[in-house]
Amino acid sequence: MKLSFSSAYFASNFPVFLKSSVVTSLYRPVSSSSQSCLPTCLKPQVPLFLKPPIYSTALSDLKSWHDWAKSLATSIGSTFVESDNGPDSSLLCRELKWLMEDAVEDQSVLTQMGNVNNQTVIMRADVEELYSLWKQRIEDRRPFQYLVGCEHWKDLVLSVQDGVLIPRPETEHIIDLVADVLSKNEGLRQGVWADLGTGSGAIAIAIGRMLGKCGRVIATDFSPVAVAVAAYNVQRYCLQDVVQLKQGSWFEPLKNVEGKLAGLVSNPPYIPSKDITGLQAEVGRHEPRVALDGGINGMDDLFHLCNGAASMLKPGGFFAFETNGEQQCKHLVDYLENHTSGSFCGLKIEPDFAGIQRFVTGFRQ
Amino acid sequence: MSFNMLKRSWRKSLHFAEIQRSQLVCSSRFSSFLNKIVENPSGSRGDLVPSNWFWFASKYRHFSDSSSQVATLPSGYGFYRKNIPGCRSYLLPDINFCYGFLQGLAFSSRFRLLGSQAAMEPSTSDGLTVEGILANNWTVLDESENDWKSHASAIAQSIHLIKKRLQWKKLIVRLNMLSMELNKPDLWDDPVHAGKISREHGSLLGKMKEVKAFEQELLEHIDMIKLAREEDDADLESESLKALLNMRRNSKEKELEALLSGEQDSCSCFIEVQAGAGGIKRATIKVDGEHAFGYAKSEVGVHRLVRISPFDSNKRRHTSFAAVAVIPIMGDGSTRVQINESDLRIERFRSGGAGGQHANTTDSAVRIVHIPTGVTATCQNERSQHQNKASAMAVLQSRLDQLEMTRQAQMNAHHTQSLTDITWGSQIRSYVLHPYRMVKDLRTNYEVSDPDSVLEGDIDGFILSYLSASLDKDEE
Repeated sequence: MKLSFSSAYFASNFPVFLKSSVVTSLYRPVSSSSQSCLPTCLKPQVPLFLKPPIYSTALSDLKSWHDWAKSLATSIGSTFVESDNGPDSSLLCRELKWLMEDAVEDQSVLTQMGNVNNQTVIMRADVEELYSLWKQRIEDRRPFQYLVGCEHWKDLVLSVQDGVLIPRPETEHIIDLVADVLSKNEGLRQGVWADLGTGSGAIAIAIGRMLGKCGRVIATDFSPVAVAVAAYNVQRYCLQDVVQLKQGSWFEPLKNVEGKLAGLVSNPPYIPSKDITGLQAEVGRHEPRVALDGGINGMDDLFHLCNGAASMLKPGGFFAFETNGEQQCKHLVDYLENHTSGSFCGLKIEPDFAGIQRFVTGFRQ
Repeated sequence: MSFNMLKRSWRKSLHFAEIQRSQLVCSSRFSSFLNKIVENPSGSRGDLVPSNWFWFASKYRHFSDSSSQVATLPSGYGFYRKNIPGCRSYLLPDINFCYGFLQGLAFSSRFRLLGSQAAMEPSTSDGLTVEGILANNWTVLDESENDWKSHASAIAQSIHLIKKRLQWKKLIVRLNMLSMELNKPDLWDDPVHAGKISREHGSLLGKMKEVKAFEQELLEHIDMIKLAREEDDADLESESLKALLNMRRNSKEKELEALLSGEQDSCSCFIEVQAGAGGIKRATIKVDGEHAFGYAKSEVGVHRLVRISPFDSNKRRHTSFAAVAVIPIMGDGSTRVQINESDLRIERFRSGGAGGQHANTTDSAVRIVHIPTGVTATCQNERSQHQNKASAMAVLQSRLDQLEMTRQAQMNAHHTQSLTDITWGSQIRSYVLHPYRMVKDLRTNYEVSDPDSVLEGDIDGFILSYLSASLDKDEE
């Protein structure tokens, strides 16, 4: 989640920001005391597959639920596809299988669904809850990832919950871009990186695992829920010493590393406000608007990030931002070339796996 | 025993595939499986048999076969797990045949075989050899009849069958060839080749040693019985008889193991099923477990189903086909084809539309094309692109390994026969539900008049009869 400075994004705000950073740059670099801003009251939800297997259900009841859920899924056909490019029934059936995998402790039960006997199944959720979850999936179009509380992203399994953007497969490519840069510049591997608007912490964790012994990632988010969930994910991958979480808007929590960042990455909200209402139901109805809505043309936060990048990155530092597509990419490159007084070099537009111009990357001069 | 496991695995596999993709497979029953993906409403056959469907066919380069899938069976559901000692690999081959001695060291003076001479036939103190026992044609009585000649005869027959199945004479020739290779001074100039040679040598030697030891044990027990009778030692006689009986029971298992002694038989495997008609739907199932490939290879070929289609409102009879391929997953690195990342084109599922934050889809199908060969692999069942890519890569690796093996086999006549068995074959079995009811294997003529049980997965008989027919017919 990110807070967008929706009005007067850099014309008035930015100089102020610069001024304050000058002051705070006198601070010592990243101290662990700054973690005190982590909310302690927020307890992230445990994903289904990590919940204790404390429920027990007759196999026949599980099968009844499964049959019901499957027929519900099948009845959808291509209705969702036609209405808003949502999932079709075959995809829903696959999700149903995954839901079973996460809910049932002993996977071998899944192969015995055909011959029902008196067997008891140990579960991580009771059948009543499964009914309710699947109903939410089909009737409310609640994203599958919120149902099971996790998303498989790259080789990570990340906890997600309502209020936290579900990481997208397109974003995986940011990690490839960073890996590429790291392989060519070992020095950056030992530096401090920042992931702004980290959400579930996906990018920060993936980068954290690629960095060297001295390398670190600071992940920020304005949303306390996101920070709590990201912290949980960081802990699950034992990266507490590598990835540091800070709550705050964009560069605000980074004042003490101004001009020192080796890398800066972000997947900020970039959907134009007018497009929000037409989004796929899973996205528009359930995911946090603050993580999606990028203002009138969708670029409020992207511009803010570009301006900040000039002052935050050290010379030779790398940045990669995800955008809405070709138009935003071109706009951004044009802005970086012509309105940042030559702060950047090596600007590039990179496509995602679907061939859409998705990322803008470059280096601080 | 093991066949039941295969049956269950097979059934589970299909059931698993069903969960993976409801449109492709709507029931765990093989019948429905065949039907659903290969139903051919026209009822004609001939041109619909995908005899030209090779797994490396370039015509499957379109992303349209996105229905291809890989299902992974957790290894826990695998086959009967048993290690055949003969399949151990010996890196430092021991040329000497060290026959096992029991307590009967008394007879060791008879064994003049302790050198490197493998050709000497072992015999009892009075010169009886295994061949001799066979020639005597002693009647084989029921196990409960405590008659040593009956036991000995049964065991000797088993040994004969085992040798036949191991292609004993070929094995000895091959072993000699490998020994010669191993003795070459420049062997280790090519470590990969050397490793391969020494592994094969070790494996063949292990098999041979095991049979030899079994023969030796038989002869020793016979010696013991004769000695016991001379000495009038009833305890020793009954003990030796018991030992013979144990051997006799054991030998049945060894016969079975000998059926699965092929180079790749112990591997896990992928089973691929593809529809004969219409679309290009294909399902790939991974089967983990000891001898998965050895058993599953029996199913390679085209399966034909004749019945009144439940999907035809006019209740007409339909003929449909499914082609099955089985690909071993090589355990050791020596046969693995090196894949260059730059030779790959990786295609991913596209939700269409703007993508990125606009779309939330759990569909993360990945398709990999190996550009130089046109071999492709697709996976869509895993939960991330990363996992789908890894699974698809595993399939691709196996397919390329298989391609490479075929290529090597064509250069090496020794293996050609065995390899034609594992590439796509022609029609192997028909399942007729109407107008009469019968499942018949066209290779062995093995038939069953209850198609339902077979379609439910009871294919043990077919596998066993195929394996024994294909090996036992070979003249030594």
